[in-house]
Amino acid sequence: MTGKSVSLTVNGHAVTATVEPRTHLADFLREQLLLTGTHLGCEHGVCGACTVEIDGEIARSCITFAVTCDGARIRTIEGFDDDPVMDRLRRAFTEEHGLQCGYCTPGMLIAARDIVTRLPTADPRRIRVELSGNLCRCTGYQ
Amino acid sequence: MTETGVGARLPRKEDDRYLRGRGQYVADIKLPGMKDVAFLRSPIAHGRIRAIRIPGKWRDSVFTAEDLEGVKPIRAVCALPGFKPSEQPPLASGKVRQVGELLAMCVAETRAEAEDIAAEVEVDFEELPAVVDMLAARAADAPLVHEEWGDNVFLETLIDADLDPVKERAPIRVTREIRTARQCMMPIEGRGVVAAWDTRREQLVVHSAAQMPHITRTGLAECLGLDHGQIRVVSPDVGGGFGYKGILLPEEVCLSWLARHLDHPVRWIEDRREHLTASANCREHHYLITAYAEADGTLLAIDAEATVDSGAYSIYPFTACLEAAQIGSILPGPYDFPVYRCRTWSVASNKSPIMPYRGVARTGVCFAMELILDAVAREAGVEPYEVRLKNLVPPEAMPFDNITNKHFDSGDYPESLRRAVQAIGLAAVRERQARGEPDGRLIGVGFAIYCEQAAHGTSVYSGWGIPMVPGHEQATARITPDGGLELRVGVQSHGQGMETTLAQVANQILGIDPGKVKLVHGDTEYTPYSTGTWGSRCMVMAGGAVAAACRELAGRVARIGAHLLQVPAEEVTVGGGKVQGDSGSVGIDEVAKAWYLRPQDLPEDVDPGGLEITAGYKPKRDTGTFSYASHAVIVAVDSELGAVEILDYAVVEDGGTLVNPMIVEGQIRGGAAQGIGTALYEEMPFDGAGQPLASTLADYLIPGPTELPDFRIQHMETPSPYTEFGVKGIGEGGAIAPPAAIANAVNDALRPLGAEVAESPITPQRLLAAIAAARGSAGDGAP
Repeated sequence: MTGKSVSLTVNGHAVTATVEPRTHLADFLREQLLLTGTHLGCEHGVCGACTVEIDGEIARSCITFAVTCDGARIRTIEGFDDDPVMDRLRRAFTEEHGLQCGYCTPGMLIAARDIVTRLPTADPRRIRVELSGNLCRCTGYQ
Repeated sequence: MTETGVGARLPRKEDDRYLRGRGQYVADIKLPGMKDVAFLRSPIAHGRIRAIRIPGKWRDSVFTAEDLEGVKPIRAVCALPGFKPSEQPPLASGKVRQVGELLAMCVAETRAEAEDIAAEVEVDFEELPAVVDMLAARAADAPLVHEEWGDNVFLETLIDADLDPVKERAPIRVTREIRTARQCMMPIEGRGVVAAWDTRREQLVVHSAAQMPHITRTGLAECLGLDHGQIRVVSPDVGGGFGYKGILLPEEVCLSWLARHLDHPVRWIEDRREHLTASANCREHHYLITAYAEADGTLLAIDAEATVDSGAYSIYPFTACLEAAQIGSILPGPYDFPVYRCRTWSVASNKSPIMPYRGVARTGVCFAMELILDAVAREAGVEPYEVRLKNLVPPEAMPFDNITNKHFDSGDYPESLRRAVQAIGLAAVRERQARGEPDGRLIGVGFAIYCEQAAHGTSVYSGWGIPMVPGHEQATARITPDGGLELRVGVQSHGQGMETTLAQVANQILGIDPGKVKLVHGDTEYTPYSTGTWGSRCMVMAGGAVAAACRELAGRVARIGAHLLQVPAEEVTVGGGKVQGDSGSVGIDEVAKAWYLRPQDLPEDVDPGGLEITAGYKPKRDTGTFSYASHAVIVAVDSELGAVEILDYAVVEDGGTLVNPMIVEGQIRGGAAQGIGTALYEEMPFDGAGQPLASTLADYLIPGPTELPDFRIQHMETPSPYTEFGVKGIGEGGAIAPPAAIANAVNDALRPLGAEVAESPITPQRLLAAIAAARGSAGDGAP
């Protein structure tokens, strides 16, 4: 396989790397950049564990090819360490026992942050609908 | 209760790393020189292997059964009479017996390249007819999964009784054929192995997403012919297990062998397709069950035949018969009745081996028993809860030895059911049903109650005679030089929050701040041997062991502290992180400093064991704790589309003393969510050739946020008389009752149509088929 060069921004840092056309973004982040907070649950775009932000919108990194991210701004869970909204969400997840094994949690948090910033007045039903792209096997989503 | 001890809703210590993406799961481990492994798996369910052709250029990268010289097959034998053992070769040899069975392992720099190699390996098969249906598997002319057996039955068991007198006089006799589908456990993280040979220590280091690492090590030692000391199994952060990660996988044996024979570490991470189609199968029960009762619903007898599709191989360590043989012993549930007969079969088929999944046999058992009780109630013309109240073991009979000699330790089963009836508002539902729904849907209410044996010990498991029998559970407690505490346990926490709850136990006794308590778990090198995390046992067993170790430690701390205070040891107490005397106190950190850094300050007769204790624990009786719960649910059924919506869900549970109610509620909700998956969505279907038909999460449906209700939970806390603090195991319970409660609610809704479902999951197809069947039979004039 021949690699292609891509330049992108990951968690605020400029990155230039050679990636194979078939490598998906999650593998690129995990294997090449060692950002292992992005988790893989299904690798076919259903479970949402691999959710990241691409150019400010949430996306599944397992069905996004890394080569298509040339010039993109990527934000992974590691990039939200100092984010005030994420800080409140982290506290809420702990207080409400919204995580158990922690495996779906990074994707859940990134999706949740998107929901609370985009739909600040969403009712519980709407939040469940919006979160339905993220599967959790431990908590029952409550 | 203190703010941080037993009973406190303490936020979890482990959360922060998970919330920042800093958990370390097996797929996150990178070792220098590590290469990836992809397995070539059988595309057929049953066949003889004629040849495996490896292209010349890949000869050094591909390994087959021929290469694994000296590696023994996985053999999990049960001592129950008549059990036929199977041998599961790590890589298939001679024959394949399921789709997904391992044929060859391919090693490359990346998984993608390893898969490319696997795609170039060719296999010639002589395909054989597959055994797919567990009832057909027992037919005389069925193909044989293991030819040498002569049939397809791992084990048959019988609990016999004379039913003739009951048959003659019972006013009520109802029979149902009941099934639960084959499922997958589906933790969001699958299995995975990173194996390396440590040349300095001459030791195999196996990182595995495993919930029973010590048992994994014992299994590996047997298969590989290595000493235990030559193997270290490390379970890092594990992304949910639910039983699947307790099993020794052929992949673990293969990677271990590979790491020993290559000069670099190797990694295999299960992908979701492998998980669904090759490994993580569970449940799949069939029942033919008859209840005999008095006219008022009082049970006279239960007569059942149960079959479990155990799949192709007996799994290590639980074996192929645990599920079915357990059915025989636990089918009576929380009820007291005089006559019981149950015959069970553990049947081999050309499918993945069946593995114990949260609740193990209980989910199927509860489904069968609770459905038949509702059938009795309909026959008797009384409310289903009334029939249950007539038959439940009453609180005044506790502790109670039931018809299969299960020793129910404590509790008030009828009260939990009465509270559930109250919580769900039964009377209001009946009124609502009478009014009818504006949208034409049918409303139904259903109940289910179970009791769950947990933390069962030696006396229970020695009878099964499987490779693993739990004995004393041990924990090491060690005070650090700065007055912190290190706990070492052989169980593994993968979502249960034990880094927090075991710290709460230690805090209850020593008063050391949970923030200063560090739990070491999931590493055979550093923890006492344990059968691990299974059977809702950890809080009872590891909690008891931590308490025992901390109590002993408190004695030693007291003696040193008393010396520092210059008072007699009898005059001090330990608690709140300090040693308290009449006129003053000294912190545990000062005691620690004396032991580790200023031994000149110690008393002459100080215990040379110091501030480190390994203590063992067993409950006063090792027959298990019995937590229980009543589940109540309201559903709306669309009789045109076959859709079921859950409108309300209430749980009244008794887990004895709760160490951390927040975590217990999380376990109940999470378990109930899985139970709703079992009830309505989850199914691993196979075609007639044994091909698994759900290979993605678009085919295998687990509940998402919109499928689940807000669970309402009430606690009753009847302490177990036999365990430390009165704790009972509750980890699996949530998953047991939902299929039964929901099916009963659906059948309640379908009553006006005369239809009944008796198979899970209750998909729209099954629901509509039941309605169509009722209409058909109504046309015939049948009941």
